Amino acid sequence: MSLDVLAAGILAGGLYALIGLGISLVFGVLGLMNLAHGELVIGGAYLASLLVVDAGWDPLVALPLAMAAMALIAYPLQRYLLTPLLRGSKSAPLVATFGLSLLAQALFQAAFGTHPKALPAAYADTGLSVLGVRVQTVYVIAFGLTVLLCAATHLALTRTRAGSAVRAASADPDTAAVLGIDVNRVYAVTFAGAAALAAAGGVLTGVAQSFTPSSGLPLLLTGFAVMALAGIGSVGGVLAAGVALGVLQSVSVGLFGGGWRDVVVYLAFFLVLAVRPQGLFRKAHAG
Amino acid sequence: MTLTTVPRRWWPTSALLLATVVCFALGGVLDSGTLDLGVTLLCYLAIAQAWNILAGFGGLVSLGSAAFVATGGYAAALLLVHTGLGWPLAVVAAPVAAMLLSLLLSAALLRLRGDYFSIGTLAVAIALQALIRNWAWAGGASGVTVPADAVPSGGNLFQLAVLVAALAMALTLYARYSDFGLRLAAIRDNEPAAAGLGVAVRRHQLAALLPTSGITGLAGAVIAFQFIVISPDGVAGVAWSLNAVLMTVVGGTGTILGPVLGVAVVYYGLTRGLQSEQTLSLVIEGVLLIGIVRFAPQGVWPLLCWATRRLLGPRPGPGTGRPVTDRGKKDEPAPTASEPVAVDAV
Repeated sequence: MSLDVLAAGILAGGLYALIGLGISLVFGVLGLMNLAHGELVIGGAYLASLLVVDAGWDPLVALPLAMAAMALIAYPLQRYLLTPLLRGSKSAPLVATFGLSLLAQALFQAAFGTHPKALPAAYADTGLSVLGVRVQTVYVIAFGLTVLLCAATHLALTRTRAGSAVRAASADPDTAAVLGIDVNRVYAVTFAGAAALAAAGGVLTGVAQSFTPSSGLPLLLTGFAVMALAGIGSVGGVLAAGVALGVLQSVSVGLFGGGWRDVVVYLAFFLVLAVRPQGLFRKAHAG
Repeated sequence: MTLTTVPRRWWPTSALLLATVVCFALGGVLDSGTLDLGVTLLCYLAIAQAWNILAGFGGLVSLGSAAFVATGGYAAALLLVHTGLGWPLAVVAAPVAAMLLSLLLSAALLRLRGDYFSIGTLAVAIALQALIRNWAWAGGASGVTVPADAVPSGGNLFQLAVLVAALAMALTLYARYSDFGLRLAAIRDNEPAAAGLGVAVRRHQLAALLPTSGITGLAGAVIAFQFIVISPDGVAGVAWSLNAVLMTVVGGTGTILGPVLGVAVVYYGLTRGLQSEQTLSLVIEGVLLIGIVRFAPQGVWPLLCWATRRLLGPRPGPGTGRPVTDRGKKDEPAPTASEPVAVDAV
């Protein structure tokens, strides 16, 4: 097992963490299992492709715009569609997000076609040598950005007034509402924030590999695996879980061959869920 | 509740028996295209109904139907390919294998609460699909081919599918009208309260999980007989799980006839009707799902019953709407699910 494999795993794990962070945030605060998260990720990639492929921008310049756009799309979806459903039956929001996922796929098909797309960038295929370990440049950039975004999310949740409102709404929505917090708005802001994180993950994924309208599902499952590993309520845990998953994946590919990539990840996903439903890296607060 | 007179109590069972006999007889009359479509619809019905019992009556929202479809399908196919035993044995092996799998997993799955159960079942389904893909003895990614001359086809396969679907319907009737079903619904609506009143929570949930997995596995065997070539993508795909949810929710979760309607609407109306217009089909399915959970969260069937009752005046129409919306949701210690009662009250 060479260091290259380990490094590749760690770096790929950053991307998994970024995708898992949004899922974990939405589930932790809203109690909503968002089956459309994969489409939020792919949607970010498609939005960026408008600027990158058609206008020749650099993906990293398009990234903040894609994040903002996804947040703007996500906010009303949560506010006017999903939040009213959260009070209804248990499976209603789940089914609604599945419906959204189908709709988004149809939209991608109609707007962009079913051919695989990728975001061209100078650093998409180049390698980089750090202390004798060879890594792909795009994954280094993705990992750096992920750490940055995780840190920003953590600080926003713990150091700002809005973050306190989010944590209050997560811990006890009724009490939070009594204390004057507009819980519905908090929910919509959280969902929009998760969508922005998803879009960032999407742009980076789009640079690293090609994507089609139906690429969302495997991303969603990876995100769930990260969430199951991390548990709810800890941003650092999500990052650690993403990295753990990435390492697990690349090591198992090295040991057993490419076919076992997903088996190992999903088995780990299930075993962790079964043995420690609260996650491996869970902290006491929120959830 | 006016279901006290004996004849009325037996109406649902008699209706099911009659429908089964009629459908069974149709197996000798219909042309092969219709029979093929019938087998598909009946398999969907069995899988959706199994999901309905587990989620609608038991409150365990599963996203893992595909795991049991695959287990049943592969158990039947591998038995036929590797042992040369007859297909009746394969039909027995399929639900047994599926029930064994669910028994094995229940230790972990039934510890999970709410959404975690959903994620757990989803993990099981995708892990199993990935496993089968790498399992050379089971054909790997390209799958297995069932010996076509050793399995029933045409009218006989249709009749087998009728029996499987009838079994699923019978199980639903049991889950709805038995004391067991009532206790199961009590767990669904308020687990601590049910446990406090002496209901053995885990044992009841296991008793719901085992037969529904069995039914799903049985449907998997029929699907294997119909497909002839089964592959990880074909029988273990997430689509089976999602379709089960979709059909039941559209028709009406926790009702008896809802899934029947849901299967017809979702499969026949959309998936098959719009095969050439894939994008449009996705749009309609998406809008339908969102619209239903937003504006008719109980599904189409209870809505139809309600509308019929409104049209026919204050007296409830005989039979049609009656068994669907009331009992089993009303008689529980803690009725947290208030919508069905509201419909019934109108």
